[in-house]
Parts: sequence; C-alpha cells; structure tokens
Amino acid sequence: MAIDLEAKIPNNVDLANDPKLRRALEHWQPKYLEWWMETGPSDFKSDQIYLRTAVGVGKGGWANFGHVKMPDYRWGIFLAEPEPDRKIHFGDPLGKPAWNVVPGELRNRLRRLIVTQGDTEPASVEQQRLLGHTAPSLIDLRNLFQVNVEEGRHLWAMVYLLHKYFGADGRDEAEDLLRRRSGDPDNPRILQAFNKPIDEWLSFFCFTSFTDRDGKYQLAALAESGFDPLARSTQFMLTEEAHHMSVGENGIGRVVQRTAELMQEGTDPRKVGAIPLDVIQKYVNDWSSSSFDLFGGEDSSNAAEAFACGIKGRYREGDGIYKDPQALAQIYTTEIEEGGKLTTVEIPLRRAMNALLLDAYHSDGLRIVDRWNRVLARYGVDQKITLPNKRFNRQMGIHAGKTYDPQGNPMSRDQWESRKASWFPTDEDRAYVRSCMIKVHERGKFANWIAPPATGINEQPVDFEYVMFH
Amino acid sequence: MRDDKRLVYVCEGGDCSEKGSIELHAELDGMLKERDTACKNRLRKYPCFGGCEHGINLVLFPDRVFYSNVKAEDLPEIVNHLVGEGPEVKRLEGKVAPDVEQITWDLLDTGF
Repeated sequence: MAIDLEAKIPNNVDLANDPKLRRALEHWQPKYLEWWMETGPSDFKSDQIYLRTAVGVGKGGWANFGHVKMPDYRWGIFLAEPEPDRKIHFGDPLGKPAWNVVPGELRNRLRRLIVTQGDTEPASVEQQRLLGHTAPSLIDLRNLFQVNVEEGRHLWAMVYLLHKYFGADGRDEAEDLLRRRSGDPDNPRILQAFNKPIDEWLSFFCFTSFTDRDGKYQLAALAESGFDPLARSTQFMLTEEAHHMSVGENGIGRVVQRTAELMQEGTDPRKVGAIPLDVIQKYVNDWSSSSFDLFGGEDSSNAAEAFACGIKGRYREGDGIYKDPQALAQIYTTEIEEGGKLTTVEIPLRRAMNALLLDAYHSDGLRIVDRWNRVLARYGVDQKITLPNKRFNRQMGIHAGKTYDPQGNPMSRDQWESRKASWFPTDEDRAYVRSCMIKVHERGKFANWIAPPATGINEQPVDFEYVMFH
Repeated sequence: MRDDKRLVYVCEGGDCSEKGSIELHAELDGMLKERDTACKNRLRKYPCFGGCEHGINLVLFPDRVFYSNVKAEDLPEIVNHLVGEGPEVKRLEGKVAPDVEQITWDLLDTGF
C-alpha cells in the first residue's frame, strides 16, 4: 500500500480513498491534539526536539530524524506490509485465511483487547508529563519525548482499528480513550499500573524496562492475531517499541554504571547525589513485580478463549517453534505455595497462555539484569542486581494473597511484612531519589547520578543539541 | 507448527536499530526472497539479544550461530550460507560473551 505522507493524517492505509473513515479520523484529530496539549509533556511545546518520525514500513528506511516541535509531530497510521494469503497459524481456526473483517462472534472480545491496549498508550504519556523538568541531560529529555510521541502514535494505531472496524461502538471507545485520565479517581485508566504517577527518572527507566516490556509482549502476542489489521498494526508498533525498551534498559544500565564508577573510586554514592545499588534493587523489585501482574492470571479461561479463537497467539507463534499450534493436549506445570511449601500444579496449556507469555517476559528480564551485572563486574563491584521470582508480590493470578520472598520461597505474612522495607522503596528512599533529580539542560552535561550513554541518537554525538530551547 | 526451517533473527533492539538493523532486515528479506528458492529459512526480527555493544546482531536457530557487527556488505556471504552454498561466516562469530549467547539460546528454546 502506498504511503501518503502529505495527507492531514500520514498513512499507508489508503485513507484518501475511504472518505467516511478519513472524515471520522479528521474529526478525532483535533480532540487528540487538545488531549496532547492538556495532558502531554508539561511545557517544552515550543522547543525543537530531535525526534524520529515513522514514515514507512518497508525497505529503504522507515523513519526520519529531525528537529520538530512536539505539537507539530506527524502522528500517522502505519500497518506492516501485508503477507499475501496469510493463514491463521494457531488455535481452532488453524489454517483458515486470516480475517480482514471482524468476525461477528469475536467483535466484543477483539474490541476489549484493542481498547485495553489502546488505553495504556495515552496513560503512559499522562504519567510522565512532568518528567521533562528534571531531565538529567538533553539526550534523556529527547528520549523521553520520543517515547511520549510514539506512545501517542500507538494510540492512533488502535484508534484507526476502532474507527475502521467497529462502527459507532468503536468511535465511542476512541472518544473514551481521550476522556480517561491516569490517576483520576473518577475516570481512571483501565490497568492499575498506568494510574500511578512517574515523577522521577529512576521510575521512568524502570517503567520503560519492565512495564513497557509487558506492552511489548502483549503486542507480540497480538502481532500473531488471525485478525490481520491488528497483527499488522502491532507488528509496526513493535518496531518503535524496541527503542522504548532500550531507553529503559540502557537508562538503568547507565545509573548502575555511575554508581559502580563511584564505588570503584571509594565514594559513597549517597554523598554525591548518586543512587546506591540497594535502592536500585528496590525499584527493580517494585516495578518488575507489579509488571508481572499485567500478564493476568496464570490459569485463565479468557486467555484460553483468546487463543482458541485465533485472536491472540503465543510469543513468536509465527516462528514455528511450538510443537502443537492448537495447544490442545499439553500441560503447563508450575509451583504454588500450599501449607507453607511449594507444590506442583498442572494447568491445561490453553488455559496457561498468560503464564507462558510471562515466562518469556521473565527470561527477557533475566537477560537485561545480566547485562547490568556485566557493567558492575566491569567496575569490580561484586554486588549484583537480581530479578525477583515470578511469584513475588503478586496481586493477581494463582499467587495472589500468598507471600513469597524475592527468590520465590514461601514465607508467612508476618515474616513478609517484617522484611518488606528491605525489598521495596521506603518513603525515605523515594525522597532521596527525588532529591537527586536535578535538571541538566546543558549540551553534553549529565546529572551526577547517571553516566552518559555510549553513543548518541542516529549517529549524532552525545553532546548534540537534541533539544533546542525556544 | 514446529518444522525444519532455520530461523534467521535480526535484532531490532534499540542499539541495533540505531545502527540500521531495520534496513538490514529489509535488505536480507529481499535477498532471501530471490535466493532461498527452497524456502529453507524463515526471516524474523527479534526485540533484543543483549549483545548491544556488538550490534548489529543476527542469530541462526537452531544452528546456534551468533553473528555480530553485521553490515550490509556481509549479507551476500551470509545468504550464501543460508541457501547452502557457502560456509558459516566465522569472522562474525564469537564476539559477544558466552553467557550472552547462552541466554539467547535459553530465550529461543521453548518447552512446548
């Protein structure tokens, strides 16, 4: 499909030849911009930010870089290129042609999935709106805004699907996506993790490392969908999402590096406004474990039905790595606390789809923690960052209401309560981290709690003028 | 369904995509469409393998081959190997730490 970059809404979905849809989206566009001005990044609206803008999906480059004022960002609708004669490759409709319209019986289920995914996109922008004021460098400020504008584009991707395939219901849902507000007690965002403010950068890096990573896995599962427009939308979103992951992963890595540098030279990080490793560990515990819950219950009939009917696959389902694309006869085993001990439980594989996705996510988490530990080792620091066990601090699923230590060992509620302050950030920890957040907006300079990145953006130097202030 | 195709993963993590992995994937896709007439390979993107400082990374599975610092000019040799007309490109191997490679094989294996 040709890419129309000159249109009011840049797109590769042939909006020019669908006047009804184009009018509906052009009607939604000013409301989106109003939402952005009201709840997007506070201030910085007239500053020029060095941003990546998606301009295509195929060979020959997919994005442009340049200085842009955020309200002038070209939010567009891009779907990955279609795969000719694509077949559904899992679940009960295995081998049938992928759908290009919504099957009537799946309408509500698909709409709910798209709305839930779509709701997280503006929510994260709202959560992070004040962060720019304490950015530790220009490149970090730019990275924050890059994440923000692309989450906005992901909202566009989901709103396109709602408008195009779900009629009046979809249009109403698209309006509601702009009405809900992160943290608003009367009209909150759908998922709880998207209702807590992110008011300092350690949390932002944890959010992009762990919470956004859940989004990546959900998108990857939806990219397998038998509903082809959803699969193609989410495939392209994943390309952008990769940068968000690296902002978090490299961000924590740079915080760890700065702390390790100080430890190596014998300086107490607390004395110079840097972040001690035990505090970083507490933030990792908090953000990773709350992100585990975003996967839903390990034993889930909803997840089983979404798989069975072909709308949400397993991670990398399309790679052909699973023995049985229908997941009918296998059993997933896991361990749960019963009477103070771990006991094996069996879940029919279809009902364990959330658990499988969480497993893939957790393995990925182990990979990034290992990467941070290699930084520590490089500076001769023996201490390590660890990723909590999947059972730790769960409010949802089979472990909800049970108490485990970060290694996943069962313990009594009393023991858990008595050790909680050593696992999670205390008010004092949070106050200390906030006190480190001093704005640095000079080219090539960095706050003392974070090391510079190894490279700049788009082959620009690290001290490039990533933000030109008005 | 599990089959005997080789999976060819191009990393699209932040560092690799900064170095042009999206474009490299597209170029490799075009070359394989032309050369891999027996459809022995399935080309995919992968979110991140963690060998970021040595990107662009390209992984062959189940062969367990981990290529690093891959550039567009390496692709003809890589494709020759993928279509069975050349050896592995040894000079691109062994650059990331063994534990990074091991984590990658653990990530790619599934018990189901």
